[in-house]
Formats: sequence, C-alpha cells, structure tokens
Amino acid sequence: MPTVHLDGMLRQYVSARSVEVEAADVSGLIDRIEEVYPRLRYRLRDEAGTLRRFVRIFVNGQDVSLVPGLTTRLRVGDKVDILHSIQGG
Amino acid sequence: MAPARSSRVRLYLGTEKGTYVATTDLQRSKWKVTGPFQPGSAVFHVVPDPRTPGDVYALANSGFWGPGIFRSRDYGVKWSEVATPGFPPPGQRKAPKEFGKFPPEAIRALWHLEPGRADEPKTLFLGADPHRLYRSDDSGASWEENQGIAQHPTRPKWAPGGGGPCLHTILLDPERPSRMYVGLSAAGTFRTDDSGKTWKPMNRGVAVNFLPETRPEVGQCVHHVALDPSDSTVAYRQDHNGIYLSEDSMEHWTRVGKPLSTDFGFVVATSPSLPGGAIFAPLSPPEVTRTMPGQRFQLYWFDRKKRNFRPMVRSSPFLGEFGNHREGLAIDRLDPAGIYYGSTGGQVIYTPDAGRSWSAVPFQFPKIHSVSVSAPAG
Repeated sequence: MPTVHLDGMLRQYVSARSVEVEAADVSGLIDRIEEVYPRLRYRLRDEAGTLRRFVRIFVNGQDVSLVPGLTTRLRVGDKVDILHSIQGG
Repeated sequence: MAPARSSRVRLYLGTEKGTYVATTDLQRSKWKVTGPFQPGSAVFHVVPDPRTPGDVYALANSGFWGPGIFRSRDYGVKWSEVATPGFPPPGQRKAPKEFGKFPPEAIRALWHLEPGRADEPKTLFLGADPHRLYRSDDSGASWEENQGIAQHPTRPKWAPGGGGPCLHTILLDPERPSRMYVGLSAAGTFRTDDSGKTWKPMNRGVAVNFLPETRPEVGQCVHHVALDPSDSTVAYRQDHNGIYLSEDSMEHWTRVGKPLSTDFGFVVATSPSLPGGAIFAPLSPPEVTRTMPGQRFQLYWFDRKKRNFRPMVRSSPFLGEFGNHREGLAIDRLDPAGIYYGSTGGQVIYTPDAGRSWSAVPFQFPKIHSVSVSAPAG
C-alpha cells in the first residue's frame, strides 16, 4: 500500500501529514484521498481532472507530475509526496 | 440578520494578493485599511450587493487552489466561500472519472460578478474564463451556465484577449427586465432581449486592427462598457480600438475622438451622481507602455452632448507611471460625487468633490484589479 506524504499547504484541507491508500496509479490515489478528505476535491486537480499548475507529485523521489503524470503506476511500498511549488513575488 | 445600513464610505479592492477594504467617513478624511482577505489569490473583482446592505462578493483566483467565490455579510469583516460554477460544495463535487469521456473544460478564472435586479434579491450573474456566463438564483449556492453564450453560433470566431478568453462585463438594463448586455474579449459586446436565451452581437461600427476583416460582426476586443445612468439605451465603450458611443442600445457605435493623442484604455465609468457622460482613463497605445501619457495621473470626462473630452485632473500632484485594469475606476452616488481610481502600481487616488481636489489613500496596495465603492445614498 503506497504511503502518501502531504505538504503543509494542504493542512487546511487534510488533517493528517501522511495517509496510506490502496491505488494502482496516481490518479486512483488522488481519487481515494479525495474520498477520505472531500474538501480536497478540485484543489489538486481541476474539475476536468488536470493537475493544478503548482502541484508536484513525486514517487520514490522522482517527479512524475508531467511525465508519466496521473497514469504513473504505483506498487506496494511506494512513497508518494504531494507538494506545491512556491512561485511569485 | 443583515447589518444595518452604514454611514461609512467603503472601497472594496480586488488585488493581486487578495481583497482589501478601505473605510472612511463622509469627508473622506481618515482611512482604515483591512485585509488581505483571500490572501495570496488574485482577486479580479470585489463587489458590494446594493440589495442587501453588508453583503460583498469577491472573486478569488488562486494559482494553487483554483477559482473561488467568497461572500461577506458584514461589509467585508468575515468571509466564507460559496459555491463556484463547476466547483460545487465539497459533498457534490464529482471525481474526474464520473464525467466519463467528456469532462468539462475547467474554469480558469472568475472575472466579474453582477448582482441581479432589485426584484430578484437572490440573483447573481457571473462572468468567467473561458467565455462563460453563469446565473445563480440562490445567492451563489448553485449556478447554471447560460447556454445562449455557451452555444453561440459565432463562438468559433471568438479569440482570447490579453487576459485570456474572459467574459468581463455584465450590464443589466434597468428599464427593460429581459434585456442585458455582456462584453467578452476578444469577441465584443452581445445583447439579449429574452432574458439570456439568445444573444445578438452588438459591434457594428467598432473597428478591429488585428484581424484581416476590419469591421467584423464579432472579434472586437471590448475592454469595458458602461450604460448611461439616465438613459439605458446610451452606452459608452472603451475598446481596444478606441472610445465609442452608442445611442440606440448598442445597435450602432460611433468613435468619438481622442482625449489625448490616444484613445486606448481599459476603464469607463458612469454614475447618477455625474449625469451626461462618462469617465475614461486614456493610456499610451498597447504596443507601448499602457500607462498614462505624460507620466502623470489624469482622467477625462466625456460630455455626451458636447461630444468632447475635458480633463478632470487639472494639475496633478501624482507623477509617475499609472496603469489600470478594466475594473479600476468607481464612482459613488454622493453629491458631490466621489471618484476612486486604483492603479496597477497599487495606489488609490480619489476625489471627494467630483474632481475639484484629488488625494491618495495613505496605503500602498498590491497591484489593483478592481475598485468598487459603497456609500450612503447622496
């Protein structure tokens, strides 16, 4: 079961720092987190299902946000980080 | 219970970093600034609802979380999020897979919220990117997309303006309940006479210098439009390609000349407290700096009868580069009229006496997207 670490910016929507969820790919993983924390829905992805601009997803330390993206396969024991890149002035 | 009517003058500012409220007395001698609310979001429009004292709506566009509509019921002290179109309350949001093969096109930004008419106290209209118009009849708890705009036969010819494919102007005809107007960049102005079922392009006479066809039916980059407060068949238009006047409910437009060497700009504003014309803020041409010519603050009054412009700021103590966005000018209904200008540099410059004297709110704001004012009736 992959373990998901959530960054501090998500704390307003999710009470936990990390969660364990059963999912075959990143898209399914976000679906599952959103079921547990419904206030998060549409915050990581827009209503069309596209990752929002500043969301970065790492699987075992590798950035998969753009490639392979949401279809990235997950295995038991994978570590997933959901982070926000901070930008602007 | 809604708060009582206030004797204060309040400016509601949508900025690049959130919403601010600047409160003052009727003499506008002392200012108190609160905010930012919705911190970190680019707030494109903040608007008080004149039908319900104390109600204020803010359209927040967060780079992190997406767009959101927030409402205050106490003149901007406390705020809470209401539903956003395509973005309903948490329990009603669909997972992307629930949309099947045809997920919706995401809303990229919220641009303008227009409270409905006095006899429809819970009605709101909302303009959004990409080229969408929504209506709520329950004070923002739910929204329905206007299909006349969504399915408009000329839609394939619409292009994005510099700010994206936005629906940024919504005007309700105060004398004809089934008539309203919208402005979209870069598509032009449209009018409905059947409460939004069908929409007619209203751009005849407006030039386009960025398309092969210079007088197309649609494709004009309208920047902002204001109706005359005493005759709603009269409209003043700041377009990418000049300043225009219509005196027949936008059936025809006439270019009325230049206040300076330029008639480019973004804002136009009217008010019952300043009858007979409209205020414009000319900027240097789009291929140059898009700031006020002469490196000083200046506004111009267009007199409809005389068909001419006169400067409203005689000797400006405000020097430098002044630019603004389309919602950056507001006029109250006091006598004499108060006029409030918000710049992309974060200054608010105002007159409490219809232009005889000008001052600045003593606060440096972030880039200002919109200025709205609520004041007791004059």
